[in-house]
Amino acid sequence: MNHAPIMPLEAPGTREWPEHVLAEVAGAISRYPVKRSAVLPLLWIAQRTWGWLPPAALSLVARTLELDEPFVFGVATFYTMFNLKPVGRHHLQVCMTLSCSLMGADRLFKHLEHRLGIGHGETTPDGRFTLRRVECLAACGGGPCMQVDLDYHENLDEAKVDALLETLE
Amino acid sequence: MSRGPLLFKDIDTPGLAGLETYRGLGGYEALAATLGGRSPGECIEIVKASGLRGRGGAGFPAGLKWSFVPKNSPRPKYIVCNADESEPGTFKDRELMVLNPHLLVEGMILAGYAIGSNQGYIYFRGEFAYVQKIMDRAIAEARSAGLLGESVLGTPFQFQLHTHLGAGAYICGEETALLSSLEGFRGQPRLKPPFPAVEGLYASPTVVNNVETLMNVPHILKHGAQWYRQWGTEKSAGTKVLSVSGPVKRPGNYEIPLGLPLRTLIESPEYCGGMRDGLEVKGVIPGGSSVPVLPASLLDTGLDYESMNAAGTFLGSGGVIVIDDQTCMVDALWNLLRFYAHESCGKCTPCREGTYWMVQILERIEQGGGTERDIDLLGDIADNILGKSFCALGDAAAMPVQGMLKHFRAEFEYHVKHKRCLVNRRRQSVLEVVA
Amino acid sequence: MSAPVRVTIDDRTIEVPAGTLITEAARAAGIHVPVFCSHDKLQPLGACRICVVEVGTPKLGADRKPVVGPDGRAEIAWMPKVQTSCTMPVSEGMVVRTTSDTATRARKGVMEFLLVNHPLDCPVCDEGGECQLQDLAFAFGQDFSRMESNKRTFDSEDLGPIVKKEANRCIVCMRCVRYCDEVMGEDALTAHQRGVRTEISSFDRQPLACEQCGNCVEVCPVGALTALPYRFKARPWDLRQHITICPWCANGCSVRLGVRGMEILRARGTEFRGVNQEFLCARGRFGYEYVNAPDRLTSPLVRQGGSLQPATFDAAVAEVAARLRDIAAAHGPGSVAILGGERLNVEEQYLLQKLARGVLGTNNVDARTRLTTRVPGAAILKATGGGRPALTFGGLYEAQETLVLFDDLQGESPFAQATAIRGRHQQGGHLTVAHARRVKLARTKFGADWLGLAPGSELALLHALTKSALDLGDPVDLPAEVAAGLGALRSALAAWTAERITAETGVPAAKVAAAAKRLRDAERKALLFGRAVAENPQAPALLQAIENLAWATGALTASRSFVMYAGPQSDSQGALDMGLSPDCLPGYVPVGDAAGRAAFEKSWGRTLPSGPGLSAPEILDAAAAGTVRALWIVGDHWLASAPDRAKAEQALARAEFVVVNEMFLTATAQQAHVVFPVAAFAEKDGAVTNCERRVQRAPRSLAPRRGTKPDWEILQLVAQALGADWRYRTSEDVYRELARLVPGYAQTSWATLLPDGVAWSATRVAGSLAYHEGAGPAAGDGLWLLAGGTLFAQGSLSARSATLAKLGRGPRAFLGAADAARLGLAAGDSVELAGPAGTLVLPFEQDDCVPANAVFVPYALAGDGLGRLGAPSGAGLRVKVRRVTATATVGA
Ligand SMILES: Cc1cc2nc3c(=O)[nH]c(=O)nc-3n(C[C@H](O)[C@H](O)[C@H](O)COP(=O)(O)O)c2cc1C
Ligand code: SF4
Ligand code: FES
Repeated sequence: MNHAPIMPLEAPGTREWPEHVLAEVAGAISRYPVKRSAVLPLLWIAQRTWGWLPPAALSLVARTLELDEPFVFGVATFYTMFNLKPVGRHHLQVCMTLSCSLMGADRLFKHLEHRLGIGHGETTPDGRFTLRRVECLAACGGGPCMQVDLDYHENLDEAKVDALLETLE
Repeated sequence: MSRGPLLFKDIDTPGLAGLETYRGLGGYEALAATLGGRSPGECIEIVKASGLRGRGGAGFPAGLKWSFVPKNSPRPKYIVCNADESEPGTFKDRELMVLNPHLLVEGMILAGYAIGSNQGYIYFRGEFAYVQKIMDRAIAEARSAGLLGESVLGTPFQFQLHTHLGAGAYICGEETALLSSLEGFRGQPRLKPPFPAVEGLYASPTVVNNVETLMNVPHILKHGAQWYRQWGTEKSAGTKVLSVSGPVKRPGNYEIPLGLPLRTLIESPEYCGGMRDGLEVKGVIPGGSSVPVLPASLLDTGLDYESMNAAGTFLGSGGVIVIDDQTCMVDALWNLLRFYAHESCGKCTPCREGTYWMVQILERIEQGGGTERDIDLLGDIADNILGKSFCALGDAAAMPVQGMLKHFRAEFEYHVKHKRCLVNRRRQSVLEVVA
Repeated sequence: MSAPVRVTIDDRTIEVPAGTLITEAARAAGIHVPVFCSHDKLQPLGACRICVVEVGTPKLGADRKPVVGPDGRAEIAWMPKVQTSCTMPVSEGMVVRTTSDTATRARKGVMEFLLVNHPLDCPVCDEGGECQLQDLAFAFGQDFSRMESNKRTFDSEDLGPIVKKEANRCIVCMRCVRYCDEVMGEDALTAHQRGVRTEISSFDRQPLACEQCGNCVEVCPVGALTALPYRFKARPWDLRQHITICPWCANGCSVRLGVRGMEILRARGTEFRGVNQEFLCARGRFGYEYVNAPDRLTSPLVRQGGSLQPATFDAAVAEVAARLRDIAAAHGPGSVAILGGERLNVEEQYLLQKLARGVLGTNNVDARTRLTTRVPGAAILKATGGGRPALTFGGLYEAQETLVLFDDLQGESPFAQATAIRGRHQQGGHLTVAHARRVKLARTKFGADWLGLAPGSELALLHALTKSALDLGDPVDLPAEVAAGLGALRSALAAWTAERITAETGVPAAKVAAAAKRLRDAERKALLFGRAVAENPQAPALLQAIENLAWATGALTASRSFVMYAGPQSDSQGALDMGLSPDCLPGYVPVGDAAGRAAFEKSWGRTLPSGPGLSAPEILDAAAAGTVRALWIVGDHWLASAPDRAKAEQALARAEFVVVNEMFLTATAQQAHVVFPVAAFAEKDGAVTNCERRVQRAPRSLAPRRGTKPDWEILQLVAQALGADWRYRTSEDVYRELARLVPGYAQTSWATLLPDGVAWSATRVAGSLAYHEGAGPAAGDGLWLLAGGTLFAQGSLSARSATLAKLGRGPRAFLGAADAARLGLAAGDSVELAGPAGTLVLPFEQDDCVPANAVFVPYALAGDGLGRLGAPSGAGLRVKVRRVTATATVGA
């Protein structure tokens, strides 16, 4: 099932960097002898700023680094962590690779699907959660595990997940 | 209590991530001693003599790699730390960096000094944003303490260190793909030769080393090559951090002297303490998901590069995945192949198409639609990928297939014959939830 | 050059230069190794893996010497894995097996993988019959599939008006993306996603924002990218394929036409032939459409009672002969003039001037109808070294420093642009682009230095560059007659101080000096100029200044450095070589040179006029004044090309007799008394000479449209009617004659021109150094009018090609943001340009590459002609620009 986008597809204000990230943008570029190297850092900044990467934000990154737009598009789609569609306020990423799977990741994921009423790649209608299966998070010893936004949560079970969801607005 | 003889010795010291505590435990002494009286060439010789081998997976001698960097290249040189830690089953670098970031900073400065580089980058997998923050904090501390920058510890040696965050791609752990990614391209591997040591980042000489490799360097330079050789075997010197996952009693990272028998790691109360819930070991993937599985009968193999090779597998990145007797091996392999198909960069034909195809076949077998012919086909496809792909990811997808078919073919045959699993603990539990 | 090494491939031992790739070495040995991702013009990728082979190298002993086995041969150490032959260079003693069991098995495996997700929809695929995947599947594939699961699928999509994409057929060889980047410098295509989901597309799946060259379609080895204009039109085996030369610019690309019946259905590159091989620009690929146009003229037209009426060739020829004879008899041969012919082939150009000189007895013949001033026929040859070899595309690719003078190569020389970009990308060559607009090649992404000179300061910039070059010391190896002028040139240039340079050119003097130094220091340098110089009002002074610069920087003396003139039309070079100018006979023989003339007089059997004739601008004036009474305009829409349209209209109205050779009833043709319908480029045989001075055969690909004749036949009919004893059975007969008379073309024949043509060189004119102060930029107000060529619109024919017309988007005037704002212009507005002689209203478009105080109007997008504004005086033209609202222009 599909839900209406949380944000309008052309998120407002993505044509220019907002004032408060300008220093960060300049700082990222200054770390490399070649401007193009800053493409991932800038995509990250854009994603933090707008929650996802609308085409206008990709154009902005291209313009800032004097790159061609299609090039930036190709880079952004190569990596799995850039959201080219809007996502919910919290991004639940459940590791499904072998070690976690051995410890019950499949079961945990089903539980989440059930509880949130959404499947892989979908967002709850209230825009609160996006649920995704992901590959190994490098937390195999703490499987099953899940990354929520930037944070790792390990040794999960149904009860722990339920408690965790309660803390996320 | 110490969790290991070297990298893990003081790792649980409260506040170790801070500069003061790190220095209190002798941190940056190696750096001071080195900058004070050793030439870069001597550093390389010491690391060579220590027998330190790359801990990222390939096990290439670190000192030898450093010595490939041309001495008088007119181009700048780079030292790049591979903190991508993307091999399934491996989670050591994350813990090492989170608990002891300054050890990596010191290791990078020393490696930079040895190869004549003034600029280092640490490349993290995208999921490690919080680890990046910790490293950035350590780097900032080191910079204000004069350990980084224009003049390291007041000497003419200058060294800048920056972190770089990936964005979700296993292939970026492969060193040339990592460099492509760091340069801002799609993270796809590049032709070798030229090797990075000659033409790497921005076509300049570049050494790429794993986090753990670099963390050994300060210790080696501080105490000497012979001291380091007190652990391990002749050809596999030193210690190795192994990440153990699966249903053992105490999963986690363990720093072992190389050569320790696999069985000891899994069963000894000093380490994992055996299996939980009365399960038995069916097989162990000893070096990250890319290496062939070992059946329980080979549990006495030593955890060192040579013994593992003799047993038909690799020590790899040290991600030890323990598979219990209730697990369906078809399901396990299907799971792994999904990973490789998902992570194939798509550049070369055998890996791009072969991983997809193998997933389709495994799905068919697992769901009861497979035939005897499918098992042979699987082997054939793996064979057609192995050694024919552009980079080692193709091999990494083919080897688990070969290992499984070699040791657990019977389970695959059972599947195609009876249209169901020989055993399947997890599927049952999933069904419970769904019901 | 690297030392040769010996390699053995499948038991054939050959010697090739070290560094040669195994695939290339195999080709040299006559062994075919299949490839997909590898492409001659692209950097090796090694991705598809179809080219894998087994490779061994000599075993080395402890002494680093090869170990010799018991059989006396070097022992071979075989590499454990198969290797991609497209990426591995050969080395001494290497042994390669391309068909061993291991290699064949590996290749079969790859072939099978390539078909895993391929839809196998050959019956509905345009590539069918010329698909490399299909061919290889026959060669290596098996006739059953072991893939029984669902295939991964993508939706098909149109990437703009040219490219159709069926991603399911894609084998991810990345040739299209790499070509777009490495050769075209466009980066319009990119791979989306990764792994088995990798899909080639554009930014956010929008229409490709690029040159629409279609080369991505060309290099796609399968049917993933196909050309929309050709979609489902034909099967390759239903087409006759003919290779001829593209008529759209002076680069002279080979083009492979696919013809069915009387219709051209497509144009493609040629893969292993021609200067361009697989490359074509949008004009070359889609411009042929005018040949098929239904409104082609198919009968001669003769004016009767005020209107043009169809007539037979006999009647039209008789009329022309009679009227020309009468007028020449009554008013002297000087009352007749011939204009045009730059697009004809050399045979026709030769006959055209022979008709003027040898039949009508006048030197009033000039191909360069756009000129505003008289330019000696040999001036361009002199500026490029007097007949020294010209810069070739190979030289341009290799050049370490390239200076492009005043042309936008994208519009004027698309293949030269692609070559420069590829050279920059793959050889690290550096580009300097002198242009008032920031044209594509001047973008930072090509690492180019842009000398954004003030409009009208071309001469000043050349002086400044030469001055800066001479400041670095005396040039070496100058011929004596050139060296003689050095002192005088130096003192004249002394006036060009840094301050003056900066002030007059608008380019900081230091930047000019750096450019001059780069050019002087580079071992391999390339200098390019073309239309912007040749048609400039100050052309004579500019050409001398270019020659000065070339001598001063060594571009005419260093062994691997050359100069290129890329003229405005496909055979501009031929027109000069063949003497379509009032002061030179073919081969740059001055008409006043009695000894030189004698050879022609002997051959043509009559005495020839010895005084220089009128040049194109002089003919314009004379016709308007009534002293030239008969005009013959050949293949030129003169009303649009003449520098002063009002005057040209007056000339046509006043002339007693006007003949026009045309394919379409243009406004010029409508004014004629007789119109001859002519064959199109693909419908006639001949040779053309490109900007490398390479004479290439342009063979006929289809019969002339019924009712038309090639120009040369028409010229011959008229000459015969005028009593000349011309007996050419074919245009090859003409070529035989001209090859006897024209140095440079001597030693050639049609047969020697195939397949690759012959680049001529022969010293014809002596060099010199000289200084012309030239008129400074015109005073006055208004905006500078910048004219030039653009990619999609060229001359009057591009509008007759549906695809180009669509891409060109009709007449427009371009202004930068600042001027647009000042004039209050918004999208949808039009502007009125007012020049000394008239006004022109054009839709406005903003283009930030246009400098301040200037308006850019491409010739072919100028509606009914820039000449409406009046002839430019001094250097360049200024026009008053004002906004007219969108509604006001309706009907204007
Ligand atoms: C597909 C693939 C993934 C890899 N992932 C990692 C990784 O996550 N971390 C790592 O250190 N090395 C990884 N490697 C190995 C690196 O290519 C490289 O050998 C290593 O970083 C060198 O460092 P070392 O010599 O210190 O081990 C990977 C290799 C391949 C082929
Ligand atoms: S083996 Fe090929 S497709 Fe797979 S990751 Fe390496 S280059 Fe990419
Ligand atoms: S042609 Fe060699 S790998 Fe594609």
